[in-house]
Order: sequence, then structure tokens, then C-alpha cells
Amino acid sequence: MATYDSLFSSLGLEEWCAQSESTAPMSMDALMAQANGNENAATSLWDLPFPSMDSLNKACGSFPQSRELTRGLESGFLSIKDTLSIILDPVTQPLSWALDGALNVMLNTPWFIVIPLLLLVVLGVTRSFKLVVFVGIAFSLLAFIDHYDYAMQTLSIILVCAFICVLLGVPIGILMSRSDLMQRITIPILDMLQTLPPFVYLIPLIFLFSVTESKLYGIAIILYAIVPVIRLTNLGIRLVDKDVIEAANAFGMTDRQKLFRVQVPLALPNIMAGVNQTIMMSLAMVVIASLVSAPGLGVLVLRGIRNLELGVGLVAGLGIVILAVILDRVTKASLARIDSSQSR
Amino acid sequence: MSDEKEIKVSIRNLYKIFGDDPEAMIDHVKNGMSKTELQEKYNHVLGLNDINIDMRSGDITVIMGLSGSGKSTLIRHLNRLIEPTAGEIYMDDEDVLACSQERLRTIRREHMSMVFQKFALLPHNSVLENAGMALSVRGYKVDEFEADANKWLDRVGLSGNGGLYPHQLSGGMQQRVGIARALASNSPVMLMDEAFSALDPLIRTDMQDLLLDLQSELKKTVIFITHDLDESLKLADHLVILKDGFVVQQGNPQDILMRPNDPYIIDFISDINRARVLKVHSVMKPGSIEPEQHDGEVDWKDNLESVIARSEGNTSNVFRVMRDGEQIGTFTMKALVKALVPTDASADRISA
Repeated sequence: MATYDSLFSSLGLEEWCAQSESTAPMSMDALMAQANGNENAATSLWDLPFPSMDSLNKACGSFPQSRELTRGLESGFLSIKDTLSIILDPVTQPLSWALDGALNVMLNTPWFIVIPLLLLVVLGVTRSFKLVVFVGIAFSLLAFIDHYDYAMQTLSIILVCAFICVLLGVPIGILMSRSDLMQRITIPILDMLQTLPPFVYLIPLIFLFSVTESKLYGIAIILYAIVPVIRLTNLGIRLVDKDVIEAANAFGMTDRQKLFRVQVPLALPNIMAGVNQTIMMSLAMVVIASLVSAPGLGVLVLRGIRNLELGVGLVAGLGIVILAVILDRVTKASLARIDSSQSR
Repeated sequence: MSDEKEIKVSIRNLYKIFGDDPEAMIDHVKNGMSKTELQEKYNHVLGLNDINIDMRSGDITVIMGLSGSGKSTLIRHLNRLIEPTAGEIYMDDEDVLACSQERLRTIRREHMSMVFQKFALLPHNSVLENAGMALSVRGYKVDEFEADANKWLDRVGLSGNGGLYPHQLSGGMQQRVGIARALASNSPVMLMDEAFSALDPLIRTDMQDLLLDLQSELKKTVIFITHDLDESLKLADHLVILKDGFVVQQGNPQDILMRPNDPYIIDFISDINRARVLKVHSVMKPGSIEPEQHDGEVDWKDNLESVIARSEGNTSNVFRVMRDGEQIGTFTMKALVKALVPTDASADRISA
């Protein structure tokens, strides 16, 4: 006798209910109640349960329990998994190659070539010697405490993922800025990507790809980090001065000319702010992705947690902070350089 | 006079209605529904109402009106930055409103250039690249248009500033770049949307002089939008006064000053310095008969101020009005004094 018996009888569904007594294993609640021997105790109105799937199931055996929902989702995912990975595997394979290649090159090139090369890149994008000195000291410090390899692994994963984010994100942002429909469709997806807890990305990915493949963490990082560059590209292009666009139209620019000569250059400060955010978010995710075998400083953090090795965890965490400061300063400095060249 | 020049651009029965369903409103407007009635009954805004203007080649046509009169909307119809609800615009007998996007782009690139109130230069391009924008849009490289762009920068008084960026220039200089950009496109028609309204009064006067100077040499068809009556009287060969989206009066500015046909315009012109704006030929009595007694000759294009200075205030003076060495009329100081009183002059015409 359950609370909602009368509901089903008034709807004339008793027969349908009687067809199958619940085949699902007994729930914990039911077991407890049985053990306590008060299965059929009369319930007062005060204890009226919400008409949830489980309580309706009690009244009618044919009504699905809520555990069927999660199970259905799981079996649904597993049944499309094979076809999905037939498509996704080859499409994402280049990501694996890029990540493996970058890790390989980064680690097999001697430090006395890699560090000066990185410093040259910093000089190239920021034109600031002060920053070059700072980055040089930071790298030397990391190398001195024997974290060079880990730091370089993390760095190369971030650079590859951020590059792909920009490669995909900027065109998506441009499309969004040109069509309101596209914007309406994309924004909820971006909102979801941004609010979904980072661990949740990993669950379906583990089913789709093997944990030994580097694209698994690559995809997780890209999904997490691509949002700001898309958003800020869209915003930047939409914020371009209407008067300038009107002038471009009045002088007969084609849409293409308008995009590459006016909109993208004028949106560049915003796009670069998006790139900065994307890089910082890749760094956040690359640590979490060490759960699914992403190499780098995150592995040490994970070891610190798992084995309660306080020192290892803290030093690796500090290394991540240093890396974060480097990446942030360098991207911000190059952003400032772009800003000042067209400030009005 | 302007009558001899051919018509370059002409606007015929142009209507613009803003709202959800402008097509359905056009009949109401054609049947004489007013702007306020349309707004109240159907929630549509009447932007332009039956505009007919002929713009002659080599003239400066000034379209003047206060804010909200539809003047900026009107000029944007000429190169179709705004699409009309109904009507035609002909440029050299071609209907601009009916042509394809491809043809429209060619017209914008080669036949109509535009100068904007807020300059609208590309902030990330140098002054030189901005001046050559029209050419670079057509596909020329920097070294191909550099000479041309520099020539026009020199002409507007910006020699040697080609390497700077727009934000390094003052407002007046930025607008000079805007004018150089329009001139470098080498288009016969130049649209100027409140081009000088954002500038200081002194710089504005400079720019007006620059425009007149350029115009005497280049003879473009200039369509100039302004809300400033003094500016319009200084520049206009043909003056169109716009109010609430319709043309109140259009014609030679001298005619409008002497024969305003609407209380709105009388209000408008009551504050200006008539002695400086009115010319001798608008006040003279036409005729080639030499007066028995005269105190000298004045040119037909002199303004009244200079005649007052010459007569030293003697109101009994009579002058012969000369044009290219021939007398075309006589000019009495009495008529001059009469013409200086705005309400009298216009009341005269209205009652007549």
C-alpha cells in the first residue's frame, strides 16, 4: 500500500500496473523499511512524499524508477559510442599527433636551445627586455629545482591546446558576430561549457577514447578553454564603431574586405584578451587533466594528494603559479602593445 | 547661374518610413497622413516624405534642417546606406535604388565618396593609408596609390603627416584626412554628412573656406548636410530646407532669404546677419538703363555689407550694378536698408 495507489486506480491504470511487478532490485529505502518491519505503516499527510518517479513506482510497478533514467542514459551512450568513435577518432587523431609531437620536440631538444628560443618568442611578442629577464629567471628557477621537464610538458600541452582554441574559436566568433541566429544557438552551448564542472567533461571522454591517447586530455582542455576566445571575438567584432563600418560600406568594401581590414583589426584587443583567458583556462584544466594521464606538473600535484606527499604537491603547485604568471604577463604585454598602437 | 548646369543627381518622390511594416504605411502617407498621426495610430515613424530634389553638376547643394528633420537619413539614401520605402534616385539617368549590389559597390567606389561627421577614419591605419582607402579598396597597393594620396593630403594642408596615425591628429586635421580620402577616390559626387559640425567654430570656418577653394577648382557635385544656417548660406548654390521629413523650401539661398514661403523659415532666418549674406543682385532693380545720377559701380556678387562700407552710411546713394563689365541693374541704398529688416522683407513677399 503506497501513497499514490489511489491516483493510478482513479486513472484506471491498475491493470497496466499489475502487468509487471517491479523487476528492478529493491532500493535501499525499501530494504530498510522491510528490515524495520514497518513497510505498511500508515502515513500521515505530513509525510506525503513528492510524486517522484520512485514513489510513483511504489504505487505502480510498471512506472519506471529514477535509476532507469541514469541507466538509460548510460546504455544509450554506450550504444552510440562505437559509431561515434568511428567518426570522432580520425577527426581528432591530428590532435594526438600534435600533442605527442610537441611533447617530443620540447623534451628532446636540449634545455640550452629551448630556453633561449622561448625567450626570443617572448621578446618577439612583447618587445620588453624586462619581461624577458623575468621569464628567464623563472625558467631557470624551475629548472634548478629539477622541475624543468614537468614544466615543459605542461607548457607544450597548453601551447598546442591554446593554438587550436584560437584556430577554431576565432572563426566561430566571427560567424557568431555575423548572424544573430548563430549567436542565439551558440551562447547556450558556451554557457554550458563554462558552467559544467571540469571533471564532468572527463567522464564521457573516458568512454569514447582510450586513456593512453593524448587527445583525451587535449579535447577536455580545448572544450574548457575555447569559450572565452569565442565570446570575446564575437563581442569585439560587434563592438566595432558603427561609424567606421558605415564608412567602409560607403567606400564600397566587400564583406571580406570589411572583415579583414576593419572588423578583425579593430576587434584585435578584445580577441587578444580572449586568447589570454583561453591560455589561463588551459592551464587550469591541464592540472585536472592529469587525472586522465596528462603529463606535467599536474601529475606531481596528483601524487601529492594521493600519497600525501605535502612537499611534492606544494612545489608543483608553486611551479604552476610561476607558469601562470609567465603566461599571463606575456599575453598581457602583447595585448597592451596592440592596444597602444591603435588607441584613440 | 546654376540653371545652365546639367542635373547630376535627382531624387524623385522619395519616402522613408521606419517601423515593422513600412510598405503598408506608404498609402496612408501618400494620402496625406501626418507624421504625428502615423506615429500615434500605427506606431511607424515617417522619416522622409515625398522628397524631390535636383542636384546640379558642379554645385554645392546644401540640405539644412534641425536634428530629427531627416537630413542624415536623406543623404544615406543617395548611396543606399539606408534603403528607401518608395521613390527613385537618379545619378546620370541611372536609378541608384534599382541597381544590383555589384553595381552599387562600383558606384560607391568610383562615383560617390562620403565625408562623415565623426570622421570615421580607420584608427589602425596611417593617415596615408586612410587617404588612399578608396583606392586600396579597389585593389591598389600602397606604393601604387601613395603618390595620389600624398597629392590630396598636400592639397588639404597635411603635407608630411602621412606617417602619423589618426589619433595623433586634432579633430580638424582628422577631418582634412576625411576630405582627402573622399577626394582621392576621384568620384564626381561627394556626400558630406555634417562634415564640419564636430569642429570648433574657427576651424569650421577654415574648413568651409577649404571646401569652397577646392570646389572652385574641382567642380564636384557636393551634397552637404548641416544644421547650421550660416554654414549653409555660405556654402550653398542650392539650398534645401528640411523639416520633419519634408522639404519646406528649396532654391537659391538669396531667394530663400528674400522670399521665405513659410513661417518656419522666417523664424529661422530672423537671426542671421543679412548684410553679410545678401548679395547686391538680390536687392537691385534689374534693368540696363543707366540712372541719371549715380555714385559709382558695384559688382553683382558683392554683399550688402561691403556696399554699406562704401557708401559710408549715406542712404541716398545709387549704384550701377555691373556684371562682367555690363550694367544689369540699379541699386539704391533705400532698397538695401529695407532688405535688412527680415520681417518686412518677407511680410512684403507673403502679402504680395
